[in-house]
Amino acid sequence: MSTDTSSNTPLSKGGSLSLDTWAVIVAVVLALAVRFGILKNVPW
Amino acid sequence: MASTTALSPVKSESALWNALRLVPGVLLLAAIGYAGKILERFLNTYAKAHHWTFPNIEYVLWAILIGLAIANTVGVPKLFQTGIATYEFWLKLGIVLLGARFVLADVLKLGGISLALVVIEITLSLALMTFLGRLFKLKPKLTTLLAIGSSICGVSAIIAAKGAIDADDEDSSFAIAAILALGALALFTFPAIAHGLHMNDVSYGLWAGLGVDNTAEATAAGALYSDAAGKVAVLAKTARNAMIGFVVLAYAIYWAGRGQAEAVTNKAASLWKKFPKFVLGFLLMSLLVGFHAFSKAQIGSLGNLSKWAFLLTFAGVGLRTNFRDMSKQGLRPFIVGALGEVLIACLTLGLVVGANRIWGL
Repeated sequence: MSTDTSSNTPLSKGGSLSLDTWAVIVAVVLALAVRFGILKNVPW
Repeated sequence: MASTTALSPVKSESALWNALRLVPGVLLLAAIGYAGKILERFLNTYAKAHHWTFPNIEYVLWAILIGLAIANTVGVPKLFQTGIATYEFWLKLGIVLLGARFVLADVLKLGGISLALVVIEITLSLALMTFLGRLFKLKPKLTTLLAIGSSICGVSAIIAAKGAIDADDEDSSFAIAAILALGALALFTFPAIAHGLHMNDVSYGLWAGLGVDNTAEATAAGALYSDAAGKVAVLAKTARNAMIGFVVLAYAIYWAGRGQAEAVTNKAASLWKKFPKFVLGFLLMSLLVGFHAFSKAQIGSLGNLSKWAFLLTFAGVGLRTNFRDMSKQGLRPFIVGALGEVLIACLTLGLVVGANRIWGL
């Protein structure tokens, strides 16, 4: 759905990275935090 | 040197200011999403305690309805709008994290089926929307935008195509309004039809992923049916999104050939630019799970993080749907879009029923 042109949020304007790339980076950081026990048993 | 040191604080100040501007809107998204979650739990408990027969209304629908009510009554103050626009970021974050809930073999099997259906769906949808656009004498570039929006992935595809084919702002806002209005309708009609047809989770998820245009609405329409259907809807929609670069590139070449858009000099670079990177993130997560990088409890945590991200997305879907603004965009593109969408919904339903018979979904 998205491309580099897909959003007007400051997040996508904030540098050369697209919104998609930011989403992937944040997801990887969260996954690492879960993997190494920084985030434990996230509730729902 | 002096200029660098002088610029740095300004740059960091503006980055901080940009980040701060997001806070009110993101908090509003979180508050509405969480209110939806509380409402779901409260009503279920209350109905059970009083022995009422009350349909289980998922938090997804509550979050959308609260957002819709705010956007279409009191309106959304400007202070919140920048943060609300991040709903698309939360959507993509949720999709990437959801990759952890898929075993790679499932992705390959269901993704393979989805991809085969997506190719058929895109070909037929593009032909159908082009035919309808000509029949209703819409401007050719508006027809192209509607065709791309309804065959692939809604708003972002239209925005991506707008730049590639040099379309007018007016045409793209027409196309976006039509796709958003129809997406909002699909949220209510798709689950109702599927319940009427007693569709199973996988079939319905595939249908929602193939038939609903915008990724946020497709995700919500899937989740409204069931958790499992939501997962499949995201997978099918992701397969559809992966095709965006090819279709936009083909149209860019077509319009450049007619001298009405800039020539495409580097096709590979153009494809990569338009390719939705979150699809790769989704596959990466699935791959990591396949290599046992996470324990069962950790996969559960990643799944819950994905649900929290979607919670904010669904609130955003409601908040950015303003029926008054949409009605100002004119009737003809909407009629073409609506006709096309109904036909595409029937077509994709037929495809899914056929796939169910062949592969036993």
